[in-house]
Amino acid sequence: MGSASLLEIKRSIKSVQSTMQITKAMELVATSKLRRAKERAEQTRPYHKALSEAIDRIRSYEATTGSVFAEQRKDPKTCIIVVAGDRGLAGGFNNNVFRLAASIAEKEGGNCCYLPIGKKAVERFTYEKKEILTDSFVNVSSFGVSKSIALGNTLADYFLKGTIDKAVIVYTEFVSMLSQVPTSSTLLPLSPLENTASGENESSFSDEPLYESSPDEMLKRIVPSYLGGSIYIALCESFAAECGARRTAMNSANKNAEEMLNNLSLGFNRARQAVITQEITEIVSGADAL
Amino acid sequence: MNTFHLEVVAPDCTPFCGEAERLLVKTTEGYIEILSNHTDYLATVDTGKAKITVNGKARVASVSGCFLSVKKNNVKLVVNTFEFADEIDLNRALRAKEIAEQMIKEASDKESMAKAQAKLMRAIARISVAKNK
Repeated sequence: MGSASLLEIKRSIKSVQSTMQITKAMELVATSKLRRAKERAEQTRPYHKALSEAIDRIRSYEATTGSVFAEQRKDPKTCIIVVAGDRGLAGGFNNNVFRLAASIAEKEGGNCCYLPIGKKAVERFTYEKKEILTDSFVNVSSFGVSKSIALGNTLADYFLKGTIDKAVIVYTEFVSMLSQVPTSSTLLPLSPLENTASGENESSFSDEPLYESSPDEMLKRIVPSYLGGSIYIALCESFAAECGARRTAMNSANKNAEEMLNNLSLGFNRARQAVITQEITEIVSGADAL
Repeated sequence: MNTFHLEVVAPDCTPFCGEAERLLVKTTEGYIEILSNHTDYLATVDTGKAKITVNGKARVASVSGCFLSVKKNNVKLVVNTFEFADEIDLNRALRAKEIAEQMIKEASDKESMAKAQAKLMRAIARISVAKNK
């Protein structure tokens, strides 16, 4: 009996050890990927800032209150872009995004379609049989600048045609190594301009610039890129957050494994000792009988 | 020569940031050259060639999209792609051109046609910049 339980403990120690090897490797991979992802996310900020500044600049001089892209339509059909990961094992990373997406869908009232980015998101919304605009964005890590901009163009097209009336992007923001917060932002229609006291801060534009083509034409060309840029930023943030979440998850998995190993080896030593003690008693009592 | 502050911003990097003397870009209405103390200005940028002159030396680059903004001697060129002539992979551009031509032949609707044409334009711009460096 004793040797059987010994073997059993030995086996589970081995299995925990091999799992720990995997989680340790995954933690290291996530850490190194995280560093690169963070840099990439930082690099996209100037582009996005320049674009949103330009759009504000054009819009602040338009005679009408807004362009076609700012039109608030009634009973909007909302397109929810959900950015999740390609893989699991990242704690609550994917689920938190889905939960936020669901709560937004509820708020918008039923009339929603989805544009999932990332394998987990595509799988989830296909499983739930939701209306999906396209399921061709399965691979987040290969989703580069050109694809984002192409997607921005498509979104702007859909909006102008009236296929969708609103576009919301749901992604995970990378706050720090330990904290990743699911957030959402409305891409279309453009938010109304804030009437800040102009002329006071430096960033407001006091003189109307010279336009090469009409403001509306320019917005039509800039807005798709702006959307693409926003999507690209969200992707970078989300990827960094995914790495962060995976790192944290794997870290705690490692700790758990270590604890389990401690308990198991303690149990193993006790069982081994018990076997030895029993053998000695048997030998001693055998000798006594002689 | 008088200079202005030029910043070229791409989605994934900042290819150029510093003082420049001249900037030649192709807007949707045609080529335009910016010198220092240009009036405030906004234009959309087309796929084509750009030339940045720093200290009398001109560097040529291929550019696609998005816009150019001038504000008080601060020039921002926001692009979707930007490559200096010596960074262009000519073979890749030639391949891209072939693919784009194939796509134009096979294009069935307006949308894919426009996409293919844009791709072809980018490839042609890259090739011409790379060959005339």
